[in-house]
Formats: sequence, structure tokens, C-alpha cells
Amino acid sequence: MLDIKNLEASVGDKQILHGITLKVNQGEVHAIMGPNGSGKSTLANVLAGREGYTVTGGTVLYDGKNLLDRTPEDRAAEGLFLAFQYPVEIPGVSNTYFMKTALNAVRKHQGKPELDAMDFLKVIKEKAKLVEIPETMLSRGVNEGFSGGEKKRNEILQMAILEPRLCLLDETDSGLDIDALQIVARGINALRRPDRAFIVVTHYQRLLNYVQPDFVHVLSGGRIVKSGGKELALELEKKGYGWLEQEKIGSR
Amino acid sequence: MNQEDTSSPRTVSGDPSSLYGMMDPGLRSAGVTASGFRLDVRRGDGSSIELKPEPIKDGQRLTVPPGSQATLIEKNESLRPEPYTTQSKWEIVLSEGTKLNHYKLVHEGPQATHHSFLEVEVRRAASFQSHVFLFEGAQIRNTIHVRMAGEDAECLLEGLYVGSGSRVIENHTLIDHQKPRGTSRELYKGILDGRSRGLFDGLIIVQKEAQKTDSAQTNKNLLLSAEAKAVSNPELKIFAHDVKCRHGSTIGQIDAAQLFYLRSRGVPQAEARRLLIYAFASEMIEQVEIPALRDILFPCLNLATYIRK
Repeated sequence: MLDIKNLEASVGDKQILHGITLKVNQGEVHAIMGPNGSGKSTLANVLAGREGYTVTGGTVLYDGKNLLDRTPEDRAAEGLFLAFQYPVEIPGVSNTYFMKTALNAVRKHQGKPELDAMDFLKVIKEKAKLVEIPETMLSRGVNEGFSGGEKKRNEILQMAILEPRLCLLDETDSGLDIDALQIVARGINALRRPDRAFIVVTHYQRLLNYVQPDFVHVLSGGRIVKSGGKELALELEKKGYGWLEQEKIGSR
Repeated sequence: MNQEDTSSPRTVSGDPSSLYGMMDPGLRSAGVTASGFRLDVRRGDGSSIELKPEPIKDGQRLTVPPGSQATLIEKNESLRPEPYTTQSKWEIVLSEGTKLNHYKLVHEGPQATHHSFLEVEVRRAASFQSHVFLFEGAQIRNTIHVRMAGEDAECLLEGLYVGSGSRVIENHTLIDHQKPRGTSRELYKGILDGRSRGLFDGLIIVQKEAQKTDSAQTNKNLLLSAEAKAVSNPELKIFAHDVKCRHGSTIGQIDAAQLFYLRSRGVPQAEARRLLIYAFASEMIEQVEIPALRDILFPCLNLATYIRK
């Protein structure tokens, strides 16, 4: 489904990604871990098509087609979703109106009929229960005045509504207390399906206690320095990231 | 309904919706336009007071009678393509303890010039609100002078101006606090596209006698093109020592992070831009207390911001 080969990318004139190769199949959950500044968020943003991130080498194929020359809205319409590390606030646009506009744009792209306001209201109310978002929050401005935890839950709500096929979660666990973390994790698990893949970017192992990954990759200095199963995450939790740096140096 | 195009204001009587009715898109496409005002004055118990403004040179004079609340809706609209000039002039006095809500909508032809002059005296414990919407026309000048002539007077000035093409919009406002414990709030927002120019020139004076004045003035501008220009001159002149006054202005562009957020959810770029412009402007319209008027203003806003080259 997603095939990343030797991906290199820079922000401004600073190269961050130094050749990432990663293959993600339907139904798989990949965790990408690594120390701060290792390029985890850059990878997520490059995949979502954010301006200011320049791809300087390599390829990314999504469903066998080049992903990198598509606009962010096209990528979303094709089923790619980025849950942001820092979701922005948009006062003046209600959550409900925003999500209706987004869902109908995606449905239109997929050749499905658009939902009217009443039908959409049913959808959003049902999905809001999943992440325990009260209805009063739906009529507020997008993320306006939301706490950190509410913003992250709102990201999962959007994901549930848009029903993407590839979900990128960028440090969704950061800044969450244990209750919010469990709500978010339950939301993610409820969305796991055989035809839906996840890339979970995280600094800590704790989210992975709740969302079990099939593969764990460690990013360091813009490269994947180690890949393994979920036991690798536990090892990292115990030993930190330092030993991998040592191992890398030792292997040269 | 009168179907002739008039360039000077006139009174519209009867059904309150008749003024709104003239904005009906069907009528507009048939070339039916009109300008005018509607005045609604009520006693404290809600009963209506028959009151006509007094004609003066180039305009109207109105005194809001004691014990009443008034709503004045003023509309300047035309679809005439050729150059022409319209003006409106009001001299208004709010008697003690009265309230007036003034709404003004300018939707003139593409080569039209519109000059508006509003002079208001707010007496003791009276409350004046002005909501100005400047959408269409080649040159629009909006001038408002408010004298806070009594103690405990209140004043709210709000304006939304939308520029596209080579439109020039000027706003000149003056709030003169002359007596103690006055409260004034001012918020003007501009959306400027194409090669349009938007000026906000706002002066607040707090006279020596006007202690305990509480005043806030804000001007925000959203520039949609590199050639559009906003000029903001907020100014405070304070001669009293015990006052609370603040002012500020911003000139910015569409927020890149917000735009990306919307696009990343599948909203096409043009639609995402429109949503953010709408978000910037909508609070001005949501303040409008008359639902039928809100229903007109939202399509006007869409029209004014959607038609892009």
C-alpha cells in the first residue's frame, strides 16, 4: 500500500531525512520511534504534503502511484490521514461544518453522493461517542479553546469520520494524561481493520501498550537504524535510545 | 414594491421584510434594485412608535425619543454599471437612557462612489450600536462621529469592509468621550483582495472630564493578494487620568498552518481559503440581532469574497 524508498527530505536548507526505506501493507500497524530531532515528524509531514518540506531524493508510492506530486487534499481524498502533533485552532469555523465539508469533498472525489446536513449529523454524533467528545464541542470552532487532550481526541474523531486507509499518527500520545491516552487508544483500536494501515509516530513506548504494533522502527539521524517486532519497543523503554547510537557507531 | 432605482435614501413602509425583499437574488438578477432605510421605534413595552426622521440638506435628522429603543436599517444598493455617486447623511440624537441599533449595508455598482456621514450624540446612559457592511462599489467612504455627551453612555462601532478589484474603502471614525464612565468598543475588519485599498482611521478622544472611561479599539485586516493594501491608523488622545483604554491593529494573510490543516482533511485549496475568509468575517455578521438581515449578509459576504479573477 505504501512503499517508501530512500526518501531524503529537507526543511529550509537543513537535510533531515537521509534515505528512509519502509514498506507498509494493508492492516499493518507500524510504530516509528526515535529520539527528538530524529526526523519522525518530518517523515509524517512529508507524507501528508506539508509546504516547507522539500523532498530531495527517493520515491514514495501509494497504491503503486507517486504520492509526492499530489496536493494535500488529493492525498486525503485518496485515503491518507495525518493526525497532527499540534492541531491548529480555527475560530469561526465550527467543527461540524468543517468535517461535513471535508467528508463531502472526500466523498465527491471517491464518486460517492454527498451527505446532507441531517445525515451528516447522525454520522458525527455516532463517531463522537467513540472518543467521548460531547455534542457541545462539535458546534464550537475547530479546536477552539480545546485542551491538549481534547484536541487529540478531535483528531481521532476526524479520522473516524473520514475513514482513511492509511493513518499517520504524529505523536498523538504527547501531552496526554493516562485517561485521555486510553480514550485515544480505544479510538484507534476501534478503527483497526484488515484494509486499514497505521503508522504511529511516537517518542515513548506507553501508547504501544494500548495499540499493539506489528513492526517497530527506530529512526535516528534521519535513517531507520533498527527494525523489529513489538518487543523492540519494550527494549527501547528499558535501555533508552543511547545504545542504538553506540551500536551504529560500533558497526561502522 | 417600488421598482425604480433611486440614488437617494427613502423610507420603506409596511412589512418589515420589504427592505430585505429587495435583496432577493431573483429580483436582483431582474435588475430590480433600490436603496432606502427602515426605522423601527418601540416603547419599553414593545409597542411601536410612529416616527419619521426630519429631512435636512442631503440627509435625515433623528431624535430617539425618551423611553424608547430604535432600530435603523440603511441600505445603499444598485446594480447600475455606469459611474454615479450616492451619499447618505444622518444626524442622530439618542435621548437619555435610549438605545439605537444602526445597520448599514453598501452594495453599490462597480463604478459607484458612496459617501456616508453619520453624526451621533449619545446622551446620559444611552446606548448606540453601529454595524457597517461595505461590500461593493468603486469608492466607499464611511465617516462616523460619535459624541459621548452624557454620563454612562455606551457605544459600539463595528465594521466589515471587503475590497476587490481596485476598490478604495475609507473608514474614518471618531468617538469623543466628553463625560464620565462612558464605555466604547470598536472593531473594524477588512478583507482586501486584488489591488484594493482599505483605510481605517480611528480616533478616540477622552476629554478631561471623562474620568472612568473604558474604551477599546481594534482593527484587523486580512490581505488576500500581494497587491492589496491596508492602512491602519488607530489613535488615542487621552486628557483624563483615570481611564482604561486600549487599541490595536493587525494586518495579516491567510494562516498557512490553518490552510494546510483544512487541506489535509480533503478540503480543496480554494474552498479552504473561502472557509478561512468566512471565519475571519463571520463574527461580524453573527453580532447582527435580526435573523432576516443575517440571512442577507452571509450571501453578500460570499459573493463579495468568492468572485475572484
